Amino acid sequence: MKTFSRTETVDFAVVGSGAAGGVMARELSQAGFSVVLLEQGPRLGPGDFEHDELKYIFLNGILNDPVRCPQTFTNDPRKPAQRTSNSNVLQYARIVGGSSNHFTANFWRFHEIDFHERSVLGPIAGTGFADWPIGYAELEPYYTKVEWEIGVSGLAHSSPFDPWRSKPYPMPPLPVKSSGVLFERGARKLGLHPYPAPMAIVSRAYRGRPACVHCGFCEGFGCEVMAKSSNLYTMIPEAEATGRCEVRAESYVHRVALDARGRAHGVLYFDRDRNEHLQKARAVILCANGAETPRLLLNSANTRFPQGLANSSGLVGKYLMCNQGAPVHAVFEHELNEFKSVQVTRVLHDFYDNDPHRGFYGGGGIDARIDGQPIYWALAEGGQLPRWGNEYKARLEAFPRSMLCMGHTTSLAVETNTVTLDPELKDAWGVPALRVTYKDHPDDMAMTRFLQDRSTEILDAAGAVKIWRGEAAETTVAVHLLGTCRMGDDPNSSVVDRYHRTHDVRNLFICDGSSFVTSGRGQPTMTIEALAFRAADQIGRFARRYEI
Amino acid sequence: MTAANNRPCGTALLRTRRAFLRLSGVAGVSAWLTANWPAIAAAAQHATHSEANGLTPPLSFFDAADAADVETLAAQIVPSGATPGAREARAVYFIDRALTTFYADWAPAFRQGLREFQAGFRAARPGAASFATAAAEEQLAFLKSVDQEPFFEAARTLTVLGLLAAPQYGGNYRGAGWRLIGFTDQLVFEPPFGYYDREYTGFVPYAQAPK
Repeated sequence: MKTFSRTETVDFAVVGSGAAGGVMARELSQAGFSVVLLEQGPRLGPGDFEHDELKYIFLNGILNDPVRCPQTFTNDPRKPAQRTSNSNVLQYARIVGGSSNHFTANFWRFHEIDFHERSVLGPIAGTGFADWPIGYAELEPYYTKVEWEIGVSGLAHSSPFDPWRSKPYPMPPLPVKSSGVLFERGARKLGLHPYPAPMAIVSRAYRGRPACVHCGFCEGFGCEVMAKSSNLYTMIPEAEATGRCEVRAESYVHRVALDARGRAHGVLYFDRDRNEHLQKARAVILCANGAETPRLLLNSANTRFPQGLANSSGLVGKYLMCNQGAPVHAVFEHELNEFKSVQVTRVLHDFYDNDPHRGFYGGGGIDARIDGQPIYWALAEGGQLPRWGNEYKARLEAFPRSMLCMGHTTSLAVETNTVTLDPELKDAWGVPALRVTYKDHPDDMAMTRFLQDRSTEILDAAGAVKIWRGEAAETTVAVHLLGTCRMGDDPNSSVVDRYHRTHDVRNLFICDGSSFVTSGRGQPTMTIEALAFRAADQIGRFARRYEI
Repeated sequence: MTAANNRPCGTALLRTRRAFLRLSGVAGVSAWLTANWPAIAAAAQHATHSEANGLTPPLSFFDAADAADVETLAAQIVPSGATPGAREARAVYFIDRALTTFYADWAPAFRQGLREFQAGFRAARPGAASFATAAAEEQLAFLKSVDQEPFFEAARTLTVLGLLAAPQYGGNYRGAGWRLIGFTDQLVFEPPFGYYDREYTGFVPYAQAPK
């Protein structure tokens, strides 16, 4: 496998090996460019992942942990942020492949409306609600590319609300589970349109990877059989196979280096022994996620860019959007055994669009899924559930008969929802820590409750013997890290242009969840990867024309 | 004075997983985890070895009296019966190991909470020698008076982890907790997975796009 010497200048330094970075590295190296892909976390393989709920869900096994990578949090910009202790507010997998390792693998495309909803609905007071500079049609070929080259299972045209597509899915949906059957039964009775969930998990052997064996440990876990279409198993090995891409794990980039002309000339990073290095590059692409990309830009401030790099708009780190989750739990008469197989097999998009009759802005999707692995199930509360004794034991024993309906919502872009640098706290490397300020817009919370109402109706129509709503709480933990370096044509109101080039630094590009202008309805990874395919196409074209 | 009105501070414990994640005063867990994962694995191996020899693993955080009280408390939280409970899952061995390894930061507060729990019980039941040796009805009556307390919640959380975390951590003895809740830890399953997908005849497409 290719290893570049530390003094070598490569064409592209790509920071972050997750959903966007993996695609970027593969596309640019296949196009003939030299690429170093820097990842702060270690490289693990399928043999390193385990069915270990305590480690992965409760002990931050592969996550950015709150000790070495601490964060502070406040829901009120007027109040000081407090350090979080047991887990971070903005979470991602800190290993090669990033959060594409531990995602649930819900792979919905955004709908056409997501890209131009502001034009349709008009402004929303107190928000930065805006259109994207690109539309669905421009992204459609790249959605198709994600489905075929990364591997998504699903049934084309099964949802009447789906946007148009140029090609069917490359493989059939995964086998339906009991939660899917019940969800479909209840929803159809109500005149709704549930359909087979599109999942980035392969339902048959595909591009050298085996079909899913239904072990059930997807959400929060790395896949032990390589059936989940993580970049670790798809894009990254293909990038390495070109002989032009080096994946450099345990390499924590903390600063973009600039030359005297104000151009990026590489990135500064700490290796595993905390020695600092400069990786020189003709262009730098940040794919570090919606939390770490803005932090890196803010930490790269210098005399020329005192507000942080690429931040002439003042919008780096602003408009953080996290999507809300709307849980409703249910228990049925017979066994569902949701601990078997993938987390989700049925979804519906009947409530995807905004509806003025609801009295608030928003939209979302609902899926049917497992109600947590065993410990999660046992510690879930709400609905006057017994907490100990014989009644508690009886409730634990309902595990195989349980399921969850999960609603996924829009989040409005609010300028005071931000990622900034904490003025005092430093991480384990001495780099200013990430400070999160976030309060859900009231419409986001209203949409959450609305979807809980709809889920309750569906579960009731499906014949559940017990239904209870989970907590509709304001965000204190988030895994969808969106909007913090938004895309736009106007340098005054956006950080990157429609080709993901920063308005301020010609050879600095950003592509990850931070590029989003709106939040979609809750499943961003598919769109992050499609954006990365499209951006890589454009960036490669610029490079060949000496326009970088 | 009972534990109920002598709340130990700094160990706010957790009503939901959300609260679990917010748990204050527990910084150190992950760094410890990262640095000491091999040690946990070694400890797990030791536990497995003890078990293979028909022994219970040694206790290092609790003495015998404390272990008896915690085991009894755990057995009230998830009782034994026709199906296994916390006692059969050996949850107390998990708790003992957790408080000396990945949850070491909880240890001082847990020990203080346990002392107050024991003192509270003796104050409420002057004749009783210990919580563990008291009659079950006395234990139950006392627990009803303290089950909103942080110590109880900490014990409850650790009991659940000791019941359901992978057996290599010292609890969930021979999968007793998983057996109780009907979970099977397996790499390969085949459809049908449950009762309701057995008779599913296939997805029926929608005739036309709805308005």
